[in-house]
Amino acid sequence: MSFREKSAWVMGAIMLATGVFYAQLVAGAPQAPVIEPLIPYVLAVVVFSVVAQIGLAIASPKEANAPADEREKIVIDRAGHWSGMVMGVLAVAACATYVALPSGGMLFHHIIGALIVAQLAEYVFQIVLFRRPI
Amino acid sequence: MGKRPPITNRVRELREEHDKMSQAALGEAVGVTRHTIIAIEQGRYSPSLETAFRIARLFGVGVEDVFGWEGE
Repeated sequence: MSFREKSAWVMGAIMLATGVFYAQLVAGAPQAPVIEPLIPYVLAVVVFSVVAQIGLAIASPKEANAPADEREKIVIDRAGHWSGMVMGVLAVAACATYVALPSGGMLFHHIIGALIVAQLAEYVFQIVLFRRPI
Repeated sequence: MGKRPPITNRVRELREEHDKMSQAALGEAVGVTRHTIIAIEQGRYSPSLETAFRIARLFGVGVEDVFGWEGE
């Protein structure tokens, strides 16, 4: 497994776990100010991501420092393109939900959720593309 | 997503003929990762024209001696 694929697996797992964490925080106090679940979520993502990337870099220092090669660039670009479409669909869905239920706080959480899901989708797409013919 | 490129190659065969060169060594020589060399040898990825030429020049043969077209 290449360094970038390993990174996608690890970051995907972090995004999934912290996404669930964020959803639980919001579900636990839906009327709380939006900053209350956001700060612990952001801290969790940053800390886990930094620790994970440091660990991966220590395990494979040469690969970690090497730039993406031509195939990896195609994978990254294509996965980013598809995750952008996921983000777009979810953002529109969030706006449609707002029209039906005009809650600014819930719109905020839906958009954050869309960002999380789109980022998770990007890692999944990268993993699939690293393993399939392109 | 997932359709194999219609291009065959003799990269693995040529690599083994050249002192059993490793995939990592070939990758480093032409500027791609070992995993990209693996993907090329397995037919899961067609390299760019530049990389194809680099591989062919490394083995001292022409591009068409390394890669072949199996499409229609």
